[in-house]
Amino acid sequence: MMIHIAWRNIWRNKRRTVVVLTAVVIGVWAMIIMGALMRGVADQFVRNGIATLTGHIQIHARGYREDPVIENSMTDPLEVEEALAAVLPGDARWCRRIRVNAIASNARHSSGLTLVGIEPEREKGISFVGEAVSGGRHLAPGDRDAIVVGKSLIEKFHTKLDYKLVLMSQDTDREIASRAFKIAGIYEAEMEATEKQFAFVAIEAARGMLKLRNAVSEYSVLFQNNEEADSAAGRLREILPADRYEVSTWKDLLPLVTAILRMYDWFIFLWFFIVFIAMGFGIVNTMLMAVFERIREFGLLKALGMKPRLIVREVLTETLFLLIIGLIVGNLCGLATVYWLSDRGIDLTAFSKGMEFAGMARIIFPIIEMKDLLSANVVVVVLGLLVSCYPAVKAARFTPVEAMART
Amino acid sequence: MTVIKKPFFAFFFLVCAIPGSAFSMDAQTLIQGSVDYYRGNASEAVVAMTIHRPAWERTMTIQGWTRGQKDSVFTITAPPKDKGNGTLKKGTEMWSYNPKINRVIKLPPSMMSQAWMGSDFSNNDLAKSDTIIDDYTHEIAGVEEQGGKKIYTVKSIPKPEAPVVWGMQKLKIREDFIILSQEFFDEDRKLVKVMTGDDIVMMGGRLFPRLWKMRKAETTEEYTLLEYKELTFKEDLPDSLFTLTALRNVGR
Amino acid sequence: MSIEIKMAWRNIWRNTRRSILTISAIVFATVLLIFMLSWQFGSYETMINTAVKVHTGHVQVQARGYREQMEIPLVVSDPAVVKAALGRTEGVAAYSFRANAFSLISSKDRTYGALVIGIDPEGEMKVSTLKQLVRTGEYLSPGDNGQVLVGRLLAKNLRVDVGDELVLLGQGRDGSIAATVVLVKGIFSSGEDEFDRGSLHMPLAYFQEVYGMRGAVHEVVILGKALDDTAGIKLSLEKSLHGQGDNGDLAVLDWKEMMPGLVEAIKMDLLSGLIMYVVLIVVVAFSILNTFLMAIFERTKEFGVLMAIGTRPGRLTRLLLLESTGLTTIGIIVGVVAGALLTWHFQVRGIIIPDAGEWLRQFGLPERMYPQLSFLSISIGSGIVFIITVLTALYPAFRVRLLKPVEAMKAV
Repeated sequence: MMIHIAWRNIWRNKRRTVVVLTAVVIGVWAMIIMGALMRGVADQFVRNGIATLTGHIQIHARGYREDPVIENSMTDPLEVEEALAAVLPGDARWCRRIRVNAIASNARHSSGLTLVGIEPEREKGISFVGEAVSGGRHLAPGDRDAIVVGKSLIEKFHTKLDYKLVLMSQDTDREIASRAFKIAGIYEAEMEATEKQFAFVAIEAARGMLKLRNAVSEYSVLFQNNEEADSAAGRLREILPADRYEVSTWKDLLPLVTAILRMYDWFIFLWFFIVFIAMGFGIVNTMLMAVFERIREFGLLKALGMKPRLIVREVLTETLFLLIIGLIVGNLCGLATVYWLSDRGIDLTAFSKGMEFAGMARIIFPIIEMKDLLSANVVVVVLGLLVSCYPAVKAARFTPVEAMART
Repeated sequence: MTVIKKPFFAFFFLVCAIPGSAFSMDAQTLIQGSVDYYRGNASEAVVAMTIHRPAWERTMTIQGWTRGQKDSVFTITAPPKDKGNGTLKKGTEMWSYNPKINRVIKLPPSMMSQAWMGSDFSNNDLAKSDTIIDDYTHEIAGVEEQGGKKIYTVKSIPKPEAPVVWGMQKLKIREDFIILSQEFFDEDRKLVKVMTGDDIVMMGGRLFPRLWKMRKAETTEEYTLLEYKELTFKEDLPDSLFTLTALRNVGR
Repeated sequence: MSIEIKMAWRNIWRNTRRSILTISAIVFATVLLIFMLSWQFGSYETMINTAVKVHTGHVQVQARGYREQMEIPLVVSDPAVVKAALGRTEGVAAYSFRANAFSLISSKDRTYGALVIGIDPEGEMKVSTLKQLVRTGEYLSPGDNGQVLVGRLLAKNLRVDVGDELVLLGQGRDGSIAATVVLVKGIFSSGEDEFDRGSLHMPLAYFQEVYGMRGAVHEVVILGKALDDTAGIKLSLEKSLHGQGDNGDLAVLDWKEMMPGLVEAIKMDLLSGLIMYVVLIVVVAFSILNTFLMAIFERTKEFGVLMAIGTRPGRLTRLLLLESTGLTTIGIIVGVVAGALLTWHFQVRGIIIPDAGEWLRQFGLPERMYPQLSFLSISIGSGIVFIITVLTALYPAFRVRLLKPVEAMKAV
């Protein structure tokens, strides 16, 4: 009954309802859009972090993370691989890597970088380098002298495909190991810093150069989604002896990224709140107006013995209807905009030099997360009802005399 | 700092006595011959090294001993400020010694491409001085006559897997195995730096270029000049000379 | 006209509740924009000042070409000349001298290459935050000789702690060999990996002795009284140092030339901030439009009566515009005061962004950020609100002309 009345009431003054709905719709739209964009930026951090040779879980020899030298390699890969086979679900992937600091030089330039020995086939889909080769070719398993380097390194060294790069590092005997590689492929990464930092060779070539027989410096595991990492890491820790192995999840490996995630949660909520306040003025105003123009009606109802509580409920129900309609339309508009942006993104390429300084990517893609959508809607409903308590209480307090006195 | 320099400086302590009676010969023999000509069982030399820059110039005197192609040790004898500083090379590993602090430091890979003592030679030039024979394929690109002696131009192309940064080297070698110049090219075949040997005189019982000059290709104002003051060839030198202990003591 | 102003003013206060709501919406928008802009400008200034205080100073004097080549012979050979020139320069808050040399750093177990930086312990405190960055051990004191401060990651890589010995081997100004044994006095952590992994600080006098600098330095680091003084200091120094024979060719560089990445970062932040401002302005504009429209709707009957007694639509429009201008003016004045107070409060106390500390430190930023109230942020903030409200007020003011007196009077 009350619902019915409330519904009719909000359409008594269509113009007014449309105006307040517009305000709610724009507010909700703004919440969803900016929320999704911020989430997009945060997500980019996570994805970049995980794809930049991190994965969801990494296994190292104890001590490697503190001191990433080649002596701290895992010399018994079988032990690890049996553990992986026992723990991982069928759709998870893993790969082996050799990772060592090296000096790359050609005739005119020289610079420090990280030399990564990979298994090209397994690496695909785990780290960015699987799909990032844009010039030349990717590594083939067992490639003896091929190296894949970043575009920015190519530019820095003024070199090109098929040219030589001499890599120098320390082998397991702490002796200098050096070897020439031919630039077989060029990769592009989200960040210039990444392109300058990593050079890839086949794992066999890296082992040959560093006199590692079958040792591995790092295992990287990728699951279908981020959440599977914790429990799997727990089980791996049970199996692999802790005095020899260290199992880390992406949250341990990327503390910055996890901090950024929490920071963005906070930003997004703050944004919702600010937008709501701006929107709230409209809601209060509208409901007050709606209440005042029906002052005689409320006065009469009270004179007839209607309880103030019921009047409050009536006004709040009306607000709720307005909010719900506004939310539905607003959500739809927001989602439509996000959908429209989802494959275009917002391109900040012109400013990408600065973006790298901030550790961000070049194009922002909005991302809708259920929890953001939910909290936006909850914020609007809860705060919306809260602020319209003022007009509602006002309406409930009209005395019949006062109400009748008004024209 | 990022420019890499290479071989041949070390030739001043690589010496041997294979008399050079050369007729027409192939490139491999020529290179092998000239390397053998400078290298030997052992040698001892005193060299003045001048580093020249547009704004300044500086000279130091170095005493060096070599044995075979792997081992060498040398120490600075002047100026007094630097006296006693030494370098030991065994294979491709290098150690540096400083008397003031009385410490020996092993050079990490990251330092190998840095300049040696501020000169136009890098640590790598010393460490990998003897790799030209094995790391390159050689061919004779031309022959000319000068003062009644044949001068061969040898083009040396690095083997694909060899850990050398150059795209090519060009050497001018006289028929008696004396190297007159060595040019270093990048992979675009552009000249990066060039070393020339001048003032060929009798030293330690054989003909030898007394002046070696390593110069960057782009400028004539930046070079390092080696001037041989003394040179003697020996049958052998004791193992004890090429040790960390000797590195400390050799300059005293 | 004056009667209209009076009428408008009286109208505003005839319905206090409605007016206060409208004014509040304007106040909120003004406060929000002033705060956000001050915050943004403040964080740029914090960013720049922090970066400047960790690394470059606002302005530096160095030998021409030193910045690119970093070769030890490229020196400011007579710092006294620069000192004298600085004495004649206005806006300089502090300055200090530094010298750098890339050297081999060796501990018992390990050897790494790093930049050895000679600093004047006293002067450095005035131009940089190095002293505050020392987390373990102690900062250098003027009398120190063979003692150094090591970056956290370098210390970790070398496996040394406070009190341990390090061997330094490099090349002096004249090409001679520079070597020394030093003790780790303190370990600093800026949070910036590159800086913490690649540098080591020692007293300047000791540096000059070890590296044979003969009194020369590489950088004169100058801090202005305020960021805005940078250009003035640079210009004045360029003039007074020009042709100072002894020092050869000196270059005067400002922080923008020394940290191009930071300038880019600010540009990019302004851009992504722009997206947010546009959305925010749309939301605020609608909120204000909403209150204006509601006020007009509510007063339909009143306008009907006014028109019926012969008020021309033009006059009605003017009256409404006057009313909204009045509301806007009050709103903006209150907003500016409230916004300034709020911003000032946080400007004094600072704001900690939860969970952002680690991230900010990575870019050399402090955990606590300070908004920076300025004429610019106040005028842009209130200006935007003013434009929005005037524009949104136009619509209802002209719309009222379409009212038909008879129908309008029938409205509730």
